Amino acid sequence: MDRKRVAGPELSVAPLIEYPVDHKRWTPQQEKRHDSKRQPEDMRPIYLKTGLIGQASGSAYIELEKTKLACGVYGPKPVKRIGQTFSGRGLLTCEIKFATFSCAKRRNQMRDPQEKELSQILTQALSPAIRLDLLPKSAIEVYITVLESDGLGSCFSAAITAASVALAHAGIEMLDLVAGCSASYIQTGPARSISSGAESIPPQIFMDADLEEEKYEQGSIVLAYMPSLNEVTHVLQSGKAEGSIISQSVEHCVEACNKIYAVMHHALLESVKENQTQL
Amino acid sequence: MTALESTSPSLAATSPAFTFSASTFQKLHPTEFFRKFASQGVRPDGRLLNAFRPTTVHYGVITTANGSAMVRIGGTTVVCGVKAEVAEPKLHTPDHGYFVPNVDLSPICSGAFRPGPPSAQAQVVSESIDRVLKESKVLDLKDLCIEEGKAVWALWVDVVCVSYDGNIYDAALTAVMAALANVRIRKPTYDEGVVKVSGAEDMNDDNSFKLKLARTPLSATFALFDTSLTVLADPNDSEESICDGSISVTLDEHGQLCAVSKVGAGSSSQSLLKQCIDRTRERATELRAIMSQQQQ
Repeated sequence: MDRKRVAGPELSVAPLIEYPVDHKRWTPQQEKRHDSKRQPEDMRPIYLKTGLIGQASGSAYIELEKTKLACGVYGPKPVKRIGQTFSGRGLLTCEIKFATFSCAKRRNQMRDPQEKELSQILTQALSPAIRLDLLPKSAIEVYITVLESDGLGSCFSAAITAASVALAHAGIEMLDLVAGCSASYIQTGPARSISSGAESIPPQIFMDADLEEEKYEQGSIVLAYMPSLNEVTHVLQSGKAEGSIISQSVEHCVEACNKIYAVMHHALLESVKENQTQL
Repeated sequence: MTALESTSPSLAATSPAFTFSASTFQKLHPTEFFRKFASQGVRPDGRLLNAFRPTTVHYGVITTANGSAMVRIGGTTVVCGVKAEVAEPKLHTPDHGYFVPNVDLSPICSGAFRPGPPSAQAQVVSESIDRVLKESKVLDLKDLCIEEGKAVWALWVDVVCVSYDGNIYDAALTAVMAALANVRIRKPTYDEGVVKVSGAEDMNDDNSFKLKLARTPLSATFALFDTSLTVLADPNDSEESICDGSISVTLDEHGQLCAVSKVGAGSSSQSLLKQCIDRTRERATELRAIMSQQQQ
């Protein structure tokens, strides 16, 4: 029982949804994407802007159609925690929080294990890019609030992209920006029985899948990549896929990351221009 | 010896021995810095003492919520999302739904907030919004009944602060009222312990309903500087930190008082309170115009 918040019922559930008879749900058998305008290799258009949080050292807001999240960076600042031993390297902590209304089902206000896991992965994906060796005895805090999520993979890759732009906006020295990209492996075409596995066709790679597409995925990949250094900082592959599909999707993601890099670059240039006009 | 004595007075006359820039002065003596502005009737950000910051309201920004709104007052940005879920009613009120407002001041919006359970400030704001809405009977909780004694709607009204720059109460209350006006819930059917809603693509008056709001309370907050000598409308974060107290007035659309709260700063005169209420009347009218303009 949470005594620090206005109390509601102990248990509440989303109502059951009853679809009308003539309702057509999207399935991958239609061989088209959920958003029929997109080709399998197309991403959603990205809106990226820096500097919406006045108090933060650096901040960024990213929107991929329905997916919306904000990122704020605080630091570098002195490590204050008691019992913290001296560290020659800077300390990077990341925290992802899903707003309670961000998903189809209401999320709890308390931190759940999934948020914890994503925060950890984000730290690992970003730290190779930051010159933490130049910041002894200091801490950098990266906070992300997901306002709306339309697909976990895309939400997570957007978090990586936004966080690295916010770090650059805070003026923290980095080796390169980190772009994040996700892909899902989805079996398209007519449904087949599992017994005829020998002649099964390889799944299609859908870039930047949305929530509806994720429901049908066999597996997915999230890639964090530094475009100008041509180095990968983190790969998260889950689900079942053949080696050839995985290497193919990594190639697709690298290609997409290069496109995202152009957007990130543009957003940072804009923020510099804005600063100049203010002065 | 004589040379030194002759040069030092002339040096002191040309340049003062101890000077610093305006921004250094602000950091060292924030109160004195502010007082210099206030004595001239202006504030460091260029506003007059009774001026509010530019305000914007956007409806329906979150599609996963039943209703949502984003409110910006100057540098303060809040997002409110309302989610309707099904819950069992309380035993002594079998036909009453739940209305649960909570404000989250997460560390993303300001360096002053720490991760973890809600801070005292967040609890105070949540509690005052809950009290204003319940005591001025904005919602009839009986409207949220699905099946008496079995199932009711629970309205989870969560406010997330994305960027903090003072006056969170006004921003949060405006966002809650805007989001409630934006709520659309699908009409439920109750059948042997199961609540079902239609999953049709478009929501219209046949398959969904809007909330009936008895009134729309909106507020204005004033900070008291130098123990109520100077009253500042819509304080930002740096002003809040140097002020001794504040007055918040909440009014509904007929100009009737829904709540008045005054915290800190010793005592304040009756005329001061009246002055604040009058200024709130003007502000609430402006705010309502902004809200109705966006709603169309």
